[in-house]
Amino acid sequence: MDTTQLLKGVLDLAVLAVLREEDGYGYDILRRLREAGLEEVGDASVYGTLRRLFAAGLLTTYVVPSESGPHRKYYSLNTAGRDQLTRSGKLWCSFATTMNALLDDRGMAA
Amino acid sequence: MTVTEQEITDYVARVQAALADLPPAVRDELTEDLPEHLAEVAAEADGSLVERLGEPEAYAAELRAAAGVGAGSRGRGLDRRFGAATAKLRERLDRWDVQLGPPLGYPRVTEFLRLLRPAWWLLRGYLAAMLVTVATTGGTFGLVPSLNGSELAGLVLLAGSVLASVWLGHHTPGLSRPKRRLLHAGTLVLVVFALVGLVNVDERARWGGDYGYQQISVDDRYDHVQDVFVYDSEGRLVENARLFDQNGDPIRLGYPDCLTEQDLNGAGNPLLRPYPYCPERAPFAPRPPAASPPAPGLPPLSIPSGTPTAGPEPTVGATATPEAAPTAGPTPTTETAPTPAPSRT
Repeated sequence: MDTTQLLKGVLDLAVLAVLREEDGYGYDILRRLREAGLEEVGDASVYGTLRRLFAAGLLTTYVVPSESGPHRKYYSLNTAGRDQLTRSGKLWCSFATTMNALLDDRGMAA
Repeated sequence: MTVTEQEITDYVARVQAALADLPPAVRDELTEDLPEHLAEVAAEADGSLVERLGEPEAYAAELRAAAGVGAGSRGRGLDRRFGAATAKLRERLDRWDVQLGPPLGYPRVTEFLRLLRPAWWLLRGYLAAMLVTVATTGGTFGLVPSLNGSELAGLVLLAGSVLASVWLGHHTPGLSRPKRRLLHAGTLVLVVFALVGLVNVDERARWGGDYGYQQISVDDRYDHVQDVFVYDSEGRLVENARLFDQNGDPIRLGYPDCLTEQDLNGAGNPLLRPYPYCPERAPFAPRPPAASPPAPGLPPLSIPSGTPTAGPEPTVGATATPEAAPTAGPTPTTETAPTPAPSRT
């Protein structure tokens, strides 16, 4: 099991999380994820996830003209997105706590 | 930066090719900011895009999986095969694009074609004007547009449609998808119209506005002619006359419908007989030596204040010499005969 496989399950949550404070465009979001420590996240995965979250109605988009190069499509959380983030976040935290406890019992805590 | 615009374009094209089985709307949506993304990746560090992001096909697969779009919704197997086929076709076109570019003096054929785009806009405007022309005048395909028969209005129309076409050309990328589709449908109509028109004009140009042959011998004017009677300047019927045109071809008029000795002798083609076929039917009686004839004689030509029009082409030798006049002596019967002409000489 490597990080990539783990990421698949939580990438939605990670993307929603980095959008909570500030809107961002694709590459910007990718960079924030990497800065947060998710080095192995794939470019295409992030872009694909953004599309899927948008299609699910959790994100809204708007286009910002840039002085250099093409227009940028910015993503931002809408109400449904925030609710989803809250719910998923709680779920993750309880899951993570459970996992940590499980591993801790077996003497494998980080 | 070691990554060129070209590399980015190629990468995008290959990703799109790998997603070819998706509905175009979904595919475009998935890849719309890919070029921008690749540009940022390229600006960030060295190395080729493939080194950094993996093969475009793998990228496409990841994108597809993350976005949660499978293969096309209907007829999975068929769609996938179709998608694979189009992807292969795209790849091949892409290769030709690169291979055939240098002979044209450009890195790619598409670059060359892109330069021709404004020319197409002009042509498109012209074609639209011609379509309006044909639609309003109802049919004939000319070369100059006109509106309700007015060439001036046609030129205004032409200028308008060319400007509109150029404007449209500049703004096509900004159009919404349905509008762009409408535009493409319109373009298709124009292209078909242009091909039909071209064939049409070409056909007429080949004919040279004519029918390829000259209508001559078949002429109503001579349909009623049954026989030809030739009279000399003295008004005497010329027998066994033959008529020729300037090329020496015999002129055949009328048809023999009376029997002659020749026929009885069975000599020759009746159609080759000299005129008149039937001398006894001559409209002007041959002059009797001295007469007060009931049948009107044909007066000699040399009479200046001439006589009711002599029907059958007696104008032959109209410049009858005055010397000929005295020979009228043998037939001095008519009062008009006394030959005043010689006095003129």
